[in-house]
Amino acid sequence: MDIARDNILQRVRAALRVEAHRPPAPTGTPIFPPIADPEARFREEFAALKGDIIENAEKLRVFLNGFSKIATDGSELTSKTVGEPNAGVRECDLGVTSCDCLVAQTGSVVVSTLSAGGRALSVLPPTHLVIARREQIVPDLATAMTLLRKRYDRHWPSTLSVITGSSRTADIEKILVMGAHGPKRLALYFAD
Amino acid sequence: MTTATLRQFTRDATVKTADLRHRAVIQKNIASYDAAVARGMTRFADWQNARSHAAAIKWETINHLDHYLEQFERNVLTNGGHVFWAETAADAREHVLLLARRHGVHKVVKSKSMTTEEIHLNEALEAADIHTIETDLGEYICQIRGEPPYHIVTPVMHLTKSDIARTFQEKLGAPLTDSAEELAMIARANLRREFMTADMGITGANFAIADTGMIALTENEGNARLSFSLPPVHVAVVGIEKLIPRFEDLALFWPLLSTSGTGQAITVYNSLIGGPRQAREVDGPREFYVILLDNGRTRLLADPEQRDALHCIRCGACLNACPVYKNIGGHAYGTTYQGPIGSVITPHLRDAREWSHLPYASSLCGACTDVCPVRIDLHHHLLHNRRNAVQSRFDNPVQRILFHAWFWAMQSSTRYAIAGKLGNLALRLGIAQPLLRPWTAKREFPMPPRHSFRDYWRQHGHRA
Repeated sequence: MDIARDNILQRVRAALRVEAHRPPAPTGTPIFPPIADPEARFREEFAALKGDIIENAEKLRVFLNGFSKIATDGSELTSKTVGEPNAGVRECDLGVTSCDCLVAQTGSVVVSTLSAGGRALSVLPPTHLVIARREQIVPDLATAMTLLRKRYDRHWPSTLSVITGSSRTADIEKILVMGAHGPKRLALYFAD
Repeated sequence: MTTATLRQFTRDATVKTADLRHRAVIQKNIASYDAAVARGMTRFADWQNARSHAAAIKWETINHLDHYLEQFERNVLTNGGHVFWAETAADAREHVLLLARRHGVHKVVKSKSMTTEEIHLNEALEAADIHTIETDLGEYICQIRGEPPYHIVTPVMHLTKSDIARTFQEKLGAPLTDSAEELAMIARANLRREFMTADMGITGANFAIADTGMIALTENEGNARLSFSLPPVHVAVVGIEKLIPRFEDLALFWPLLSTSGTGQAITVYNSLIGGPRQAREVDGPREFYVILLDNGRTRLLADPEQRDALHCIRCGACLNACPVYKNIGGHAYGTTYQGPIGSVITPHLRDAREWSHLPYASSLCGACTDVCPVRIDLHHHLLHNRRNAVQSRFDNPVQRILFHAWFWAMQSSTRYAIAGKLGNLALRLGIAQPLLRPWTAKREFPMPPRHSFRDYWRQHGHRA
């Protein structure tokens, strides 16, 4: 028996006996403009956020050579693409993960504890590399949410994050500084 | 009624209004915000319709809040989390302290949360010998300066780089720098150590999703993600008005909050937390607690006229649009929530008499209502709060007599003409000016012309 719970719910119910004025109804027109070419839009948005798209296997090799301690989510896709990890998430200088989907509208990468090797791997390392397939690009956030619902409903992972660019802050005089707490750099490689 | 709170407000507002350096800092900051928001809005096909959708969803939630609260609670429990209910700020603090004791917590990392500011959680934790560290850069700067946040979204809007550099030098022994990046990196290095050794992470919630039992956190830095990923216990303090019905609603609310908050299409990290680490997961806290906070919200809910103030998603747009906020600054209000939304809700959430002066800190221009992404009728609510204050006789008795006199004079052309003549004479003789001191102290008061418009009209008007 939780007295605070009962009191709060009782006050809520008593308060709601009088209905509040209803706001004017929204119209049926779309909220966001349509997206004609999701892949082109994704690339444009991702680049505008200072994300790097690694364009081919050779460039990926050069990129990976820049890191000595690499942690990965151990998924089939990342293992096939970058090999096995040689460091844990707390020591690594690069975290490599897969993702749930990519959102063209905002240039976002959607990760979950299940798709990206837990909570820390996509936020703690100084650089985050996402391995994805082009077919994972969805046009907008609404489609992404529908897809996640279909994939996880009633068996949700404990966390999901929509990642849009690398960590940044503008708390000081609105001056943009990259790498506030999370990765300073976000990179993406299409494995297909 | 002159309370200590009102005296403090008048004093601080007077000082800040005449502080030109303060004004320059705020104007620069808000100008870059305005430019970003204008760009951000072009990403919507129909911003006005987006606002209408958001208002309709929040109306549905708030007007069936009991249903959504119970659904949310059920789903959090199913996901393996725990839910506590707190009627007051003291109850919420007590829950957190109890959990801290239960889990042997010595160090807490916090991500930015106005709700925890509202309940003065840091002071309570520190008093219990629990080292508590704010990890959002702006909040961290506030904490080491011993200042409350100046703005609900931009905590140190009032400080320049050099102010912050001096604070870091003084309080952290850091070398002076004029680089924002170096300052941010000092904070990053210091806070990284704290994240690694904290026993509990405390967050607020930007939204609570009823149909999946998740909380949603919006941020740019990654400190919220670290706060709910690394420590073994995660506690989220959530106002009961944060509910939204469906997971899918975030496809609208995330861009809406980001656009109004900073002008970004969506902030860097938008996360959903639905429980503790699961057996199939590799990391994460072993416990997840949600504290649902009332603390006066049900009083606001019981006022159908102003119930829509609970739709607020704390984007800060009404602060940035408010000519009064831009002049007196965030600290003068003396409240957790500043600006128009603060002046609407504070008299309901806290003591109505003590805070009855806040709705007068408005020109009623309506800019706040125009920018509100969830269409809260802010400037009318400010007017409603003035009416409530007068009806409860919280207003100044002298002011009340003057308004009665004004009302009496306005009802008759003769009385109005006589009052006008007397006023004109009093100004010309210089007897009225001392009564207008609060206005004239910092401004020139022009002499009124000898003849009134009525005189002029009588002589020339019909021929003009």
